[in-house]
Amino acid sequence: MKKLFFITFVLALILPFSLAFAETPVSGGSLVVCQPAEPPGLNPTANTAAAIDRVVYSNIYEGLIKVNSNGEFVPGLATKWDVSPDGKGYTFRLRKGVSFHNGEPFNAQVAKWNIERAMAEGTVNPHPEFFRGIDKIETPDDYTLILALKEVDALFIAHMAEGDAVMLPMKGYENAASEPIGTGPFKFVKWIRGDRVEMVRNEKYWNPKLPYLDKVTFKFIGDASAQVAALKAGDIDVIGYILAPELASQMAKDSRFKVFAGTTTAEVIMSTNNKAKPFDNKLVRQAMAYAIDRQAVIELVMFGYGTPIGSHWSPSTPYYVDLTEKFPHNPKKAKQLLVQAGYPNGFEASIKLPAIYSYSKRAGEVIADQLTQVGIKLEIEIVEWGYWLDRIFKQKDYQLTMIGHSEAWDIGIYANPNYYFQYDSQEFRDAYAKALKAPNEAQKAKWFGRCQEIIAEDAVNGFLFSASGLPAMKAEVMNWWENYPTIALDCTEVWIKK
Amino acid sequence: MIRYLIKKLITLFLLLFLVSITVFSVLFVLPGDPAQIMLGINATPETLANLRSELGLDKPFIIQYVNWITNLLTGKGNRSINYDMPVYDLIVSRLAVTGPLALMAMVFAVILSLPFGIYAARHQNQPGDVTVMFFTQLGLATPEFWLGILLMLLLSVQFGWFSAGGFPGWSADFLGSVKSLILPAFALGVIRASILTRLTRSSMLEVLREDYVRTAWAKGLKERTVIYVHSLRNALLPILTIMGLQLGQLLAGAIIIENVYYLPGLGRLVFNAIGQRDLPVVRDVVLFMAAAVVMVNFIVDLTYAYIDPRIQIK
Repeated sequence: MKKLFFITFVLALILPFSLAFAETPVSGGSLVVCQPAEPPGLNPTANTAAAIDRVVYSNIYEGLIKVNSNGEFVPGLATKWDVSPDGKGYTFRLRKGVSFHNGEPFNAQVAKWNIERAMAEGTVNPHPEFFRGIDKIETPDDYTLILALKEVDALFIAHMAEGDAVMLPMKGYENAASEPIGTGPFKFVKWIRGDRVEMVRNEKYWNPKLPYLDKVTFKFIGDASAQVAALKAGDIDVIGYILAPELASQMAKDSRFKVFAGTTTAEVIMSTNNKAKPFDNKLVRQAMAYAIDRQAVIELVMFGYGTPIGSHWSPSTPYYVDLTEKFPHNPKKAKQLLVQAGYPNGFEASIKLPAIYSYSKRAGEVIADQLTQVGIKLEIEIVEWGYWLDRIFKQKDYQLTMIGHSEAWDIGIYANPNYYFQYDSQEFRDAYAKALKAPNEAQKAKWFGRCQEIIAEDAVNGFLFSASGLPAMKAEVMNWWENYPTIALDCTEVWIKK
Repeated sequence: MIRYLIKKLITLFLLLFLVSITVFSVLFVLPGDPAQIMLGINATPETLANLRSELGLDKPFIIQYVNWITNLLTGKGNRSINYDMPVYDLIVSRLAVTGPLALMAMVFAVILSLPFGIYAARHQNQPGDVTVMFFTQLGLATPEFWLGILLMLLLSVQFGWFSAGGFPGWSADFLGSVKSLILPAFALGVIRASILTRLTRSSMLEVLREDYVRTAWAKGLKERTVIYVHSLRNALLPILTIMGLQLGQLLAGAIIIENVYYLPGLGRLVFNAIGQRDLPVVRDVVLFMAAAVVMVNFIVDLTYAYIDPRIQIK
């Protein structure tokens, strides 16, 4: 009897604490999320714009595989998947009883149709190469999808988890850009162009416990101070993507709000034209790498909200190798290398900065100052985005520029000698090919690591920092993602504390 | 009158034709590929080519121009690349914001400017006049966006009287919609009011020196009659001209204020469309704006005759 009493007593003591620690989510309520850019259409399988994925990924559309807040690949419309011993065969077990928002059922036939559509001739999927490695698609029954790849593809699962691979319904797919129909926890209601996208809870979601929210509205507010004013005035609940860093510390101090300084997949780099003189000289590029003080760049540009990187790989992506110490800040060494390269008095060059990204403009100014200290004089030119894409990205008419590459797993761009970096290295291409065909985790880590090392050693670009996602929200908003391991503002498990 | 109308219509079409050629050529040579902007920097060349042919961007200049104009004239209309909907619908929905916003801004401008302008003219070089002129200077020197942000910080964030921006939509919340336009319209109205106040003052001063006004005073007419009936009507012509220009300009887009208050208006539509190279939208909206400015000025012409019967419309 005494024992029983004691146990009850202890339990009574613990209970309130455990309740306080694991707060139970409450259902209901609506959430207004703001993001700066309005998406160009709402179909992620026809456009790579990050603004689209931020609205629809895992909210309206789902793929076979999802990325969760920890960056892990978790079941989406497939409950599990097995890889054959040779690494070329994938068997997906599909979730049963899933239907699209228009009532169409989801099954293996639909999945097969989606994949075939992405890889077909004349496709408008921006990444047909993600799917073209598939040799054969089999659907032995409604809930089994067997894919046979031509060769091992280490990034296959990662690609199947991207917005390019979400599942569209066979009938309601035509208007996907303006009236998206998916299987996700939220149903599209309307898109008031220039203002907002509204979605409501999908009552028939395959996970009956989710979502918690009744309604989610994405509002598009480009101006940073207008975003903060809207949050403070209570018009919006969350600034979903990149609160202006200069306002972040002030917001974080206000107990009514929270700010997360988590990681993203974006690498901000000073892209360098490796074929333009004098940057075709590796010594010059290495000299610049020594001349750049990344920590100062992060302090001055992002007000501290960023993580230094030493290669084209975000710390939040698996197989990351820390190469930030390869070229530590050392102006003396930079000057020596410039002398070796034949520029004892430095040289003049131009840097073109895209006007739409304020971090890019600021980083350009800071770096111009740092390079001046070793004798490299930069002329700054601010250019408009359309111009940037045309002249710099397409025609490669530039010496230096500054941009964030937001996709994860995108180191393969260094294997393309025609990419705007104009970097041509057989060594890198071999390493990347080996990484893609790596049969196991150890080999993947080895070769993806090697890829990172090669471009760091060659100082292909000025590798600066991985920006923080800097979401800011009202204190009552719970379960918002702290890190952004994929391009998404997933509201599935978000709830509002009453 | 009929001849006048026909003449105006011909000018309108001629003007629109010139505008159409200009805007088309400028956008054609402007660097920036809509397909590339849509698909982003990691798209494969194959997909880019597919999208370009889907959008008809691979066709020669003349064919693209003719297609555009034919779509407009036959009423088929053009489609926005980004929004995937008819440009006509976009313009109509945006005009539902920009139109009332422009009118409200003009109402603010008129309510502020006429009384103050007349007052200043009546008390020329006296302290009242100097004060009014001081404030109009201030109004002229104040950037719209700054006043907009200031009003927002004070009245929305501090006092919570207004929402800090956005537009709920007329059918969803009528009063809320009116309320959401008040601050931006006021910010737009102040600078226009400053111009109009100064103009009203100088125009009134000129009229007040006329012989017939002296006669009116000498007849012993009441001040109100002299000012509002005899003088104001004559002083109104230059004011109306400027008001017409201002209204046209406001319709053509209060881009900055629409961005500060994130109102889904015409200015923001065309601003974003240029950035995204949504060419069908840019072309159609520019044409529409040109037509709107011409129409507003045409209406102003008509009101001339109404205000001053000596002017005949031929």
